[in-house]
Amino acid sequence: MKTKLISLFVSLLLGVAGCGGGSGGNKQPPPPPPPVPITKAEAFQFLNQATFGATEMAANDVIGMRYAAWIDDQLQKPASLQLPHIQSLPLPQFMGQLQADRVDIWFRNALHGDDQLRQRVTFALSEIMVVSQLGALNNQPYSLASYYDMLARNAFGNYRDLIEEVTLHPSMGVYLSMLGNEKPDAANNIRPDENFARELMQLFSIGLVELNLDGTVKTDTQGQPIPTYDQSIIEGFAHVYSGWTYAGSPIFRGARATLASQVIPMQLWQSFHDTGPKTLLNGFMIPAGQLGEQDLADALDNVFNHPNVGPFMAIRLIQRLVTSNPSPGYVSRVAAVFNNNGQGVRGDLGAVVRAILLDPEAQPAMRMDLDGKIKEPLLRLTQLWRAYDGTSISGRYPFNFAYIIFGQGPLQAPHVFNFFSPFYSPPGEIRNSGLVAPELEIATEYLNTYVTNYMLGQTFGLNSTNENLNPDDVYINFEAEMAIAADIDLLIDTVAGKLLGGQISDTLRNEIAGMLALVPETDTVIRVAETIYFVVTSPEYAYQR
Amino acid sequence: MIMKKINRRDFIRTTGAAAAAATFASTPGLAYSQSIGTSAPFDDYRALVCVFLHGGNDSFNMLVPNTTAEYSAYAASRQNLAIAQQDLLPINPTSLPAGSNPFGLHPSMATTQTLFESGNAAFVANVGPLVEPTTKDQYFNKSVILPPQLFSHNDQQAQWHSLKGASTSKTGWAGRIADLIRASVANQQMATNASLNGTTLFQSADETIAYVMGQTGPLPFTGFSNDPGSILFDQKLAFESIVNAQYDSIYERGFAEIQRRAIDAADTVSQAIATAPTLNTVFPNSQLGMQLETVAKLIGNKDQLQMQRQIFFIGIGGFDSHDDQNQNQPGLLGGVSDAMSAFYAATEELNLADSVTAFTQSDFGRTLTSNGDGTDHAWGGNQLVVGGAVQGRDIYGAYPVLELGGDIDTGGGRMIPTTSADQLAATLANWFGIPDVDLDIVAPNIDNFVQRDLGFMV
Repeated sequence: MKTKLISLFVSLLLGVAGCGGGSGGNKQPPPPPPPVPITKAEAFQFLNQATFGATEMAANDVIGMRYAAWIDDQLQKPASLQLPHIQSLPLPQFMGQLQADRVDIWFRNALHGDDQLRQRVTFALSEIMVVSQLGALNNQPYSLASYYDMLARNAFGNYRDLIEEVTLHPSMGVYLSMLGNEKPDAANNIRPDENFARELMQLFSIGLVELNLDGTVKTDTQGQPIPTYDQSIIEGFAHVYSGWTYAGSPIFRGARATLASQVIPMQLWQSFHDTGPKTLLNGFMIPAGQLGEQDLADALDNVFNHPNVGPFMAIRLIQRLVTSNPSPGYVSRVAAVFNNNGQGVRGDLGAVVRAILLDPEAQPAMRMDLDGKIKEPLLRLTQLWRAYDGTSISGRYPFNFAYIIFGQGPLQAPHVFNFFSPFYSPPGEIRNSGLVAPELEIATEYLNTYVTNYMLGQTFGLNSTNENLNPDDVYINFEAEMAIAADIDLLIDTVAGKLLGGQISDTLRNEIAGMLALVPETDTVIRVAETIYFVVTSPEYAYQR
Repeated sequence: MIMKKINRRDFIRTTGAAAAAATFASTPGLAYSQSIGTSAPFDDYRALVCVFLHGGNDSFNMLVPNTTAEYSAYAASRQNLAIAQQDLLPINPTSLPAGSNPFGLHPSMATTQTLFESGNAAFVANVGPLVEPTTKDQYFNKSVILPPQLFSHNDQQAQWHSLKGASTSKTGWAGRIADLIRASVANQQMATNASLNGTTLFQSADETIAYVMGQTGPLPFTGFSNDPGSILFDQKLAFESIVNAQYDSIYERGFAEIQRRAIDAADTVSQAIATAPTLNTVFPNSQLGMQLETVAKLIGNKDQLQMQRQIFFIGIGGFDSHDDQNQNQPGLLGGVSDAMSAFYAATEELNLADSVTAFTQSDFGRTLTSNGDGTDHAWGGNQLVVGGAVQGRDIYGAYPVLELGGDIDTGGGRMIPTTSADQLAATLANWFGIPDVDLDIVAPNIDNFVQRDLGFMV
């Protein structure tokens, strides 16, 4: 029964890589003109950029509709929401218990939502404009659900509206302590809180240094980067963001969230707002004596019109959707669309997303080493669940510990800097090439092992043949594969078709075949589980082409 | 302004790492130490444990002036955030008159008070990232080189980790130490650098790779066995073969490399933890306590792993006290105090107290002024050093008068550091075994400071 092991050992000893022809994408001709059909592999690549995981059914849609029409259709779809579901549930003893339900509805929308592109972009936005369950907001699941819905509604809207809603959302107010921020009290050495002022600029909009349209760093005559702001400008914005707290609160100081106030924009108390003049970006001055709402509108306009926003958001969204290392040309094409959608409108995020996905670099004719990215670990899970009908007896996905196993979960970042940094560059080849690979910051030995072990449990244990499933266990269904498990090549082809768009390396195929030969063909569950396990833990599955 | 020396690192970069060691041996006249290119092992064991307090610890409430004038200045600046003087836990540095109790600790830090008074803990005062000594005038005139992006979390964490100043270095100072000593610790069964708190720039290096485990150690692979009779052995072989394959994409290769390291180390390190000597010390049931307990177990089993030099990185969050500072600070500081003090007790139990030094780092100190119920990002702050080899019961570096608008206040009580993070790192590196001639590799700005070693290590 172990005869196959010989070839396994031979390949091990000789270091045979089996790379020849294994990754067919490299050998493909330049991209076909429109009449040429989209291949299944191409559709998979596109869908892994635009959804929570390619499936064969979705690939057929893309092949039929072609990319632009598919995107335009998606841009019209209304948002699948979270808050209505959360609000429909009975109130638990501790509000924090509803976080599992918030994660549940996140998975339902991510896996089954009709608005896949919107959900995927919303997830990307939630990793740029970060708030998190970990901390004070654990007790405000309504607020977090409402924040996520707000991102989803604005995902294809205008960036200016988005940052205003982000700024005034009580989740952000709590998370970055703008809520309750008040004007200076010189007698007591109290000055406005700088937390939100700083992070809105550094992380949500313009970044630390001036950028060219193509995302490269501008330098001064000495060759040094040019800071976008200094401490005095942060203080200017900190004064702008004074005077806001929960809407409807009877008090300003010590205001408490209610079920109603945690899901609606914060409200201004002019008496706590600083009315002095304020210096903002690029020398813009807010005059003294304005109302807080006017200060806020002026300040957000000031940020919105900074030339960095286009390239800044282009890089971050491209990194979340398509590739870790976009070329300057790619960034400048997308940033140009941010600056003007073709109809003179700045900040049209739907147009930006469209430009990102339809760019030639998202579907390169000639693949290069630096094309693509590592999939976020949560997306490796959702792709598997989408392909193999991940569900539970209860119908729920209360996967509240996603961040522990996968190093990330919906609105579960450890801090406002997200799960990983857009600048993370792992030591070795990637760093030496001057490239980044943000997702590898959480692909530690520890977390990779956690995910690998989870996948073992998911395939061998949490599948539809298990008769001892708990109601909330999310299991997969591979009974179709069990019917063909006697035919090793067909089994591998079928799984590779569902998870890899049909592209599987010779090494992976040979190693799986070697293992399957050790399993009696009547052990159909083991054979299939083994096959899926090796695919979903492989480097080629972790890689988003 | 800064003398640019040709150091070995530049040399290695330009000649290619593989050839560098050989080249050195035949390149007379270059100043380099014996710590590289020889295989002589160390004849003792030493470990550094970096406890990173993520978010920026408000350390002027951790170590507080307790004399009348200095406390008054502190209280006037801090207002509603000041610790009441009668609540401070008094400490009496040996270098200051006995019984004067010129400093006090936050009331939650009784265990640190004990450690300090027994000579096994010290503080480094008002320390932070600097490229060169910096006065207030120089800061505002921009007539010195400053660490870029002061007051920004990730940038200032990166400064503490890398000491890179205005350079674009992608290595950390612990990583550079590991590279320097890599020939001397060739027999170690695990990497010199290990993190229990995720990937960190602190341990990033050109030649050596840090190992990342969880708070209680690595996870074993549940699907693998080392018993050749088991199918799980075949499963492991197949898995290894897949991660050892050639891949076309740089990302696949990066991912596969991490999987390879995970397989290589999981068994060894897990076993070392499982078979570690039993400790009587009870660690606090906290993230920090758990991490330090794991470190203590690994240190306890250093011989099985043939370890001679180890640098551990652990950390906790929650220190970014923009609001509710008065409510949260007791738990945060008390947690640090109790966990580090338990860790010290464990090293005594292992008879390794003199070989292990734990120290805090944090993004930055915080504003002396309040934003109502909390503080904002600042610069200099105080750090705690604990261990048997620490010249304890003292405060190193100048503790500033905490007055607003004073000599080193850049505004709002953002204090310019009077001791550099490079000096703190160089002092620890020197104790760890890095010779003076190599300290500028570990701490690239150290030549800009008169005192290369702060003297807090025996």
